[in-house]
Amino acid sequence: MAMVEAESAPPHAESRPSASARVWRRLAGQPVALGAGIVLVVLFVIGALAPVIVPGGAKIDLTEAGRNVAPTLNGWHLFGTDGIGQDMLVRTLYGLHTSEQSAIAATLLATVVGVVLGSLAGYRGGWVDAVVMRLADLLAVFPALMIFLAVYTYFTTVTAWKATFAFACFVWIPVARVVRAEISSLRGREFVQAALSLGASDRRIFFRHLLPNASGTIIVAATSVLGLVFVLEATLEFFGLGVSTAIEATLGNLIGDGQRGVFELGEGWWTWAGPASVLVVVVVCVNLVGDGLADALRTNRRR
Amino acid sequence: MMSGVGALLIRKLLFGLLAMFVALSASFFFFGAKYPPLRGTSLEHAYWVWLRGLPSGRSLSQGLLEPHLLSLVGVAFGRTMLLLALTLVIEVAIAVPVACLAAANRGSPLDFMLRFGIYVAWAVPGFVIAILLQEGFGRIPGGWGTGWFPSVGWAGNCPNGQGIDSRTFQCPTAGHGVVHVGQVIYHLALPALALALGFIGVHARYLRHSILDVLDEPHVMVARGKGLSERAVLLRHGVRNALVAFVPALLSDLGLLFGAALAVDYIFQLGGLGTYFINLLKLNADGLVPVDTYAVVFALLLGAAVMLTASLLGEVAVALLDPRVRSD
Repeated sequence: MAMVEAESAPPHAESRPSASARVWRRLAGQPVALGAGIVLVVLFVIGALAPVIVPGGAKIDLTEAGRNVAPTLNGWHLFGTDGIGQDMLVRTLYGLHTSEQSAIAATLLATVVGVVLGSLAGYRGGWVDAVVMRLADLLAVFPALMIFLAVYTYFTTVTAWKATFAFACFVWIPVARVVRAEISSLRGREFVQAALSLGASDRRIFFRHLLPNASGTIIVAATSVLGLVFVLEATLEFFGLGVSTAIEATLGNLIGDGQRGVFELGEGWWTWAGPASVLVVVVVCVNLVGDGLADALRTNRRR
Repeated sequence: MMSGVGALLIRKLLFGLLAMFVALSASFFFFGAKYPPLRGTSLEHAYWVWLRGLPSGRSLSQGLLEPHLLSLVGVAFGRTMLLLALTLVIEVAIAVPVACLAAANRGSPLDFMLRFGIYVAWAVPGFVIAILLQEGFGRIPGGWGTGWFPSVGWAGNCPNGQGIDSRTFQCPTAGHGVVHVGQVIYHLALPALALALGFIGVHARYLRHSILDVLDEPHVMVARGKGLSERAVLLRHGVRNALVAFVPALLSDLGLLFGAALAVDYIFQLGGLGTYFINLLKLNADGLVPVDTYAVVFALLLGAAVMLTASLLGEVAVALLDPRVRSD
C-alpha cells in the first residue's frame, strides 16, 4: 500500500518514487499493453475527428462502377463500398465516432454512479448496503440483452444519447460491486481506524484515505466496463432495434446492415467486415490495456 | 450441511420470484399501460385487469383462437435449451483438452499459441464470431464460404425462403427418428460452435490457470517425490482438482451463456427465444403496433428462470464439491 506508507511519512519517504511513478514504470515494462494503448488512442482520436477529416459523410454513388466495390486501393476504397456506393471506410469512421462517444460517456457516467453507490454501500453498510446490492441483484436476474432490448423498445426511435443513458443505468453494477468490496475491506484497515479515532470526518476519510487507495481498482473496473459497453452496444445495434443507420451510423448497426445486406441484397462480405474488424481491434485493445493496468496496479498492492 | 445450503436456496428462490414480479409489473407500466383498451381507466384498475388476464395466456392484441402464448414461447424455449446443451458438450470437449495441453507444456511455443488462441476467442465479440462462421461455412447464395452447413434456420424450417431446394422449390424435410436428430444437430452445429468458442476462451483460460495453481501445491510435490510420472501427476492431481473448481464456474456462467445464446439464435434464425423476443419487439419498432406485453412477460420470465436455475446450480455445485463450504 504505497499511499499508506506515504501517509504515515517515514523519514526516508522522499527517497522512494511516488506510487503513480512506480505504476507508470511498471506499465512501461509491458510493451503489449502499451502498444494496445497507443493503438486505442490513435483510433479514438481518428474517430473523434471523423467529421473534420471527412466532412459531410459518405457520398452516395449510384453508378455501376461505384457500387459494391470490393476493398481496393483504387480510389482509396480500403473497406470497399456498399450497395448504394457509399465508401465503407468513411461510414466506419462515422460509426466509430458515435460508438466511442456513447461508450465513453456511458462508462464515465456508470463509473461515477458505481463509485458513489458502491462506496456508500461499502462504507455505511447496513440498510444502504442492502438496498444498493439488492438493486444490483435484481437487475442481474435477467439476461442483460433482454433488458436492453425491452428498454430500447420503450425508447423507440433510439438515439445515441438515449442508448448511452440506458447503458449507464445498468453497467454501474459491476463497478459498484468491486468498489463496495474494496471500500469495505479498506474500512477495516488500521490506518482508517486510526484516522477515525483521531476524529477525522467521513468526508476527509473518504477523499483522503479511501478514494486514493481504491483508485487502482476503480480504473481497472472502468476499463473493463468500457470493453463491455462496446460489445453490448454493438450487439444490440446489430439486431437493428437501436439507432438506425439512417439517423446515425454506429459500429454495431453498420455490421448489422452489412450482414443483412449479404443475405437480402447480395452485397459483399466487406460491408460488415470493415466495421467488424474495427470493433474487434478496439475491444481487443481495451482488454489488453485493462489486463496491463490490472497487472501494474496489482503488483503495486502486493508490495 | 443441507440446512445451510437449503436456506440459501430458498432465500435465492424467493428473491428470484420477487424479481420476476417486479419485471412483470415493470413491463406493464412501460408497455401495457399504453395499450388502447386499458387506456383511460385508472392505473390501478388497468393493472389489476392486466394481471388477472396473465394466466389466460392470450395476448391482448391476438384473437381468442390463438394458442396459449406459453406454447409458442415454449417451443422457442425448447430450441434454445437444445442449443445450450450442444454448446456445453462442444465447450467441455474442447476447453478441457486445450487447457490440459497448455498447462502440461507451460512456457513452450505450443502453450503460447494455445493461449493466444484462447485470448482471441475470449476478446472477439460473440456475434462477430457467429457471422464469421455463418459466412465461412454456411450455404449463402453468392457467398464466399465453403457451404458445408445450412446458414440459417432450424431443421425443416426455411426462414424467409433461405435454404429452399433450388430444384423442387421446397424446404428440405426434417426427417423422422434418427434422421431427424441428425438433421437437428446438423442445423445446430454452427450456432453451437460459435457460442462455444467465446466461452472456451473464458473457461480454458481459467482452467489452465487453476491446473497450474494445483501443480504448484505441496501435495503435488510430494506426489512427484514419490516418483509419480508427470502424466499421472497432471491427470490425477492437476486436472482432477482443477475440475472441482471448474464445474461451479461453468454452471454459474450458464446464465451468461443463455444471454449470448439469444444473439446467436437470432443470427442463425433458429426460432429460439432470441428470435422470438427480438421479432416480437421489432413489430413495435415503428411505434405503431403496441408491444404484446403478455408475450414479452412470458419470454422475460423464462429468461429469468434460466438465469436463476443456473446460479442455484452453481451454488449447489460449490457446496457439494468444495469441502471447505461443507460443514459436516
